[in-house]
Amino acid sequence: MTIAVEHYLLVGAVLFVAGVVCMAIKRNAIGVLMGVELVLNAANINFVAFARYNPLFVLEGQVMALFTIVLAAAEAAIALAIVLNFYNNHLTVDVDAAEDLKG
Amino acid sequence: MHDLIADPGLLYVTATVLPLVSFVLLFVGGRRWGRWGAYLACAAIIGSFVLSVVGFGIYVQTAPHHEHSQTAAASQGAGHAHAGAHSPATETTRGIQPPWSGSIYWAVVHYLGESEPAAALRLGYYVDGLTVAMFLMITLVASSIHIYSLGYMAEEQEEWVEDHQAHVRRRGRFTRFFMYLSLFCFSMLNLVLADNLFQIFISWELVGICSYLLIGYYYERRSAANAANKAFITNRVGDAGFIVGLLILWTYVGDFNVQHVFDTVRSPAVDSHGEPMPQGRQFVRVTAEVDSDGHRYYRADDQGDQVLLFRGHVHAPEKVQDTWHYEADMPTMPYWLLVVAGIGLFLGCVGKSAQFPLHVWLPDAMEGPTPVSALIHAATMVAAGVYLVGRVFPVFVPDVLLLIAYTGGLTLFVAATIAIVQTDIKRVLAYSTVSQLGYMMLALGVGGWVAGLFHLLTHAFFKALLFLCSGSVIYGCHHEQDMLRMGGLYARMKITAWTMLVGVLAIAGTPLFSGWYSKDAILVQALSFVSLNPRHFLLFLLPLLTAGITAFYMFRLWLLTFAGEPRDRHVFEHAHESPWVMTGPLVLLAFFSVVVAWGPNPFDVQGSWLEHFLHQGQPATLDHEKGYELAVVASQAATRERGGNYLARDSWLYPLFEKAALGPHDLAGALGLLVAAIGTLLALGVYYWRVLDAEEARRQFARVHAFLMEKWYFDALYSVAVVRPAGVVARACRWFDLYVIDGIVDNAARATVRLSQWDGRFDLGIVDGLVNLTADIVYAVGRSLRAVQTGLLRNYILFLAVAAVGLFALLSYLMALAG
Amino acid sequence: MSAEALFFWLLAVTTMGCAIAVVVTQNIVRAAVWLLFTLGGVAGLFFLLGADFVGATQIMVYVGGTLVLIVFGVMLTAQSPFVTMRAGAGEWGLTLVVGGVLVGLLAGVLFLSPWTGPQSDSAAPQSRSVALGSDPARSQTVRDLGLVLLGIREVHPNGSIPVPIRDADNNPQSVPRREIGYLLPFELASVHLVVVLVAAAYLARARRRTGSPSS
Repeated sequence: MTIAVEHYLLVGAVLFVAGVVCMAIKRNAIGVLMGVELVLNAANINFVAFARYNPLFVLEGQVMALFTIVLAAAEAAIALAIVLNFYNNHLTVDVDAAEDLKG
Repeated sequence: MHDLIADPGLLYVTATVLPLVSFVLLFVGGRRWGRWGAYLACAAIIGSFVLSVVGFGIYVQTAPHHEHSQTAAASQGAGHAHAGAHSPATETTRGIQPPWSGSIYWAVVHYLGESEPAAALRLGYYVDGLTVAMFLMITLVASSIHIYSLGYMAEEQEEWVEDHQAHVRRRGRFTRFFMYLSLFCFSMLNLVLADNLFQIFISWELVGICSYLLIGYYYERRSAANAANKAFITNRVGDAGFIVGLLILWTYVGDFNVQHVFDTVRSPAVDSHGEPMPQGRQFVRVTAEVDSDGHRYYRADDQGDQVLLFRGHVHAPEKVQDTWHYEADMPTMPYWLLVVAGIGLFLGCVGKSAQFPLHVWLPDAMEGPTPVSALIHAATMVAAGVYLVGRVFPVFVPDVLLLIAYTGGLTLFVAATIAIVQTDIKRVLAYSTVSQLGYMMLALGVGGWVAGLFHLLTHAFFKALLFLCSGSVIYGCHHEQDMLRMGGLYARMKITAWTMLVGVLAIAGTPLFSGWYSKDAILVQALSFVSLNPRHFLLFLLPLLTAGITAFYMFRLWLLTFAGEPRDRHVFEHAHESPWVMTGPLVLLAFFSVVVAWGPNPFDVQGSWLEHFLHQGQPATLDHEKGYELAVVASQAATRERGGNYLARDSWLYPLFEKAALGPHDLAGALGLLVAAIGTLLALGVYYWRVLDAEEARRQFARVHAFLMEKWYFDALYSVAVVRPAGVVARACRWFDLYVIDGIVDNAARATVRLSQWDGRFDLGIVDGLVNLTADIVYAVGRSLRAVQTGLLRNYILFLAVAAVGLFALLSYLMALAG
Repeated sequence: MSAEALFFWLLAVTTMGCAIAVVVTQNIVRAAVWLLFTLGGVAGLFFLLGADFVGATQIMVYVGGTLVLIVFGVMLTAQSPFVTMRAGAGEWGLTLVVGGVLVGLLAGVLFLSPWTGPQSDSAAPQSRSVALGSDPARSQTVRDLGLVLLGIREVHPNGSIPVPIRDADNNPQSVPRREIGYLLPFELASVHLVVVLVAAAYLARARRRTGSPSS
């Protein structure tokens, strides 16, 4: 069995859905953050897979993946800072406690 | 400065504008300036006076042959005057000063695309001898009265003033008073300065409004407010006539400039080619005729229905048989319209100068402060009518002049008789003013142009003096005006008494006082006229008789006020002399009341220098009349010849003169003096020596007394003839307004309300319903959607996922549909 | 089954399993550990795809940086070491249904779409099932990435970007055309990182809490 691009994309899809479900189900703010990381990794897998299987995207896909990693790191730093602030104000990291925008 | 000497008329323009500046400053500055505002007004009018004196000096200096012509005319005697009167050289020998004049465009109407104005109103000045004299008189009297007012109106300086007659407390109106005075001075000077009838008319209305404002100065008093209205409305009647006159002249002459009007309605002395005109300086009445060749022409005809107008190119007429034929292409105007124009102009003067039938407002005008009565209702404004008659004299045809003379005659007699029985000190003076104005009008009407204006000038001084004296008395007696409560005041106010005596002597025509010269001139004019027109003997009889009446009521006034025993202890004990700021002007005016008419030899009644001066300004047309106007010429000549014995031989009076071996001048003067002396003695007899009892006389002539007390029932007559019908008309109009117009309006309003109600229902039910429905729907949707906004982060992520799934599903379904 | 396929499946199953374990576990510390394995698996996949530099970066940045950051976060915010915040069963059910549907949907799209590249008939051997990884030089992407990020992009006449046309002796036949690369985005990313780190330091700085904790 030859490994085709679809297989990588399948891994990406599973990671993506795992990330989404993680974000939707975790009440711990850091758990939500982990879900975000999963989603970003899913996207990265897709980029690199396309880079591998399409000669036009060989460099671009990898460059894009690099940028995504960098941005993910930045996002994690900011998100953790926000979580810390949230914790300072509410003494918890339960995202269900943040319902000030309830309609 | 150079310009001022080159054109001294600008001096007069400056003198006119000064009070206007003062008015504007006071109007802007208002009561903030307090006393200083009054000083400003005084400074302005005194400045005008100084400028007038300077202008007068220049005028006398630059009249080259003044002295020469006078002496020449006097020495050449009567014979020369006849010859000279009709020669064109008369003007030059008389040394008439060319007037200073100039003007600027004010309102101009052009035809489309033409540079020449189709019609233009101009502002201009015209300074001749009359203007110079009037300026001196007005500014001097006004200056005195301004200063006098500083004292008389002093209590207005208080922040709050108690009005004892209206029983109100009100703010002091010191600066406002002087503001009105300044506006009045400007208007009056502008009236005298103006070179055209329209400018005169503007000033005319301005002095009218000043008079209105000042009569109604104490407007809290009902009587004052009514008097102001009465004066204003009565004047409107006269001004309506004035406007009619103006319109007629504008229609036929096309210009308001006084000199142009004269030049157009009267024939020039020479035509456009230098040929002498046979009827130079006269109205030329003509009849349109066609000769046997079908040639059209105008035949000169004393009864003609047309008057020739001399515009543009003029040809001398052609002599055919005994008469003159003028060219047919000359413009004309109907004679009757010229008469109407003259009557109209005169009607304006009747209103302003309080002549019979419109004299009723002047006595009521005494409701104003006394300085105002002196300035406006005695010395200057009411003289404006006389001035205007003098100014536009050449426009009046003989018929109008006769009307003027009779109006003056009636007025002077009626007013004098009413003055006999008045007890209010100011009202006596008011009626005396009306009477004296009548004298002036009469003099003008009988052709005594110089005499009338001469009397105007002298009268201004002594009447202002008399009023200011009465003001001083009223001030000293704490606003007591009833002479019956005075008496014996000589002991309390000597200066006022003496100066007032000077005024009384002057108005009574006592020799050496200024009134003597002018009244003598008027009587001479009247007598000369009557001697030529015996039918109009009343025109001499009335002024002669009235001279006596005048002396009687004036001495009655003085004696009741100052002589005898005090009739009211309270008034007497509180009476006091006025401050120097009031007595100073009295002395000044008393001085001028004596000397203003003096000539080189004061004992020569015909030698008045002022009369000579005025004589220079006399319209040239007066020398060239004929027919009826011959009388005017004759009397004129008599005056000019200073005693030349001029009496028509066919007159029925002639034997009388012959017997008395007197000229008309001496006769008139002697008769006048005699009558005045009788009047004086009568007054002394009744009120001083008490040989006659006034009470008894009143009982004996109860009906006459009542008739006079009711002022000849003029007010009652107007009440019945004018006021009541006006009231009826007004009530009818009110009824019409109330039931017809208001009914229409009310019903329209009701219909509108009904319509509005329906409209309101439509708005509330349908329009608002739609709007509310929309809002309700939006609100309900919002409410239902609100549940989705849980505020929980995790829910939102779930929604995102669901939405993504949904979108996928939708897209694939659509793609499946599309194949 | 080739070695590539063997490694792929090994790594894929590990990665997916660990990702699911991250979701399922209730303990946040354990979740962090499972995440570590997931990220490692993804790095392995990158190596398998011939992206050696990206894979190395993934391990260094994610495993060495981000994950440590997350663990710090866990330590800083944990009220007690064993705090668990469970979601309700209903939520679990709903979420899993949605997740399952989403996976099914994605998988369906994946396997139903044609993944042919735009240049299927060019000289380079490619099809949707043929990997380009047979060339040993292909796995050395560091130089090319470095050039690109410095702003130089080498394009060969046959259109394949980093791969030169070679003769039988494996010598390059063509001189690459040089185009503009990604220097500007690279710089932007650098500045972005600086700004983010300053902002994170500002946001997370220690603040003295005032008032009662409940407020």
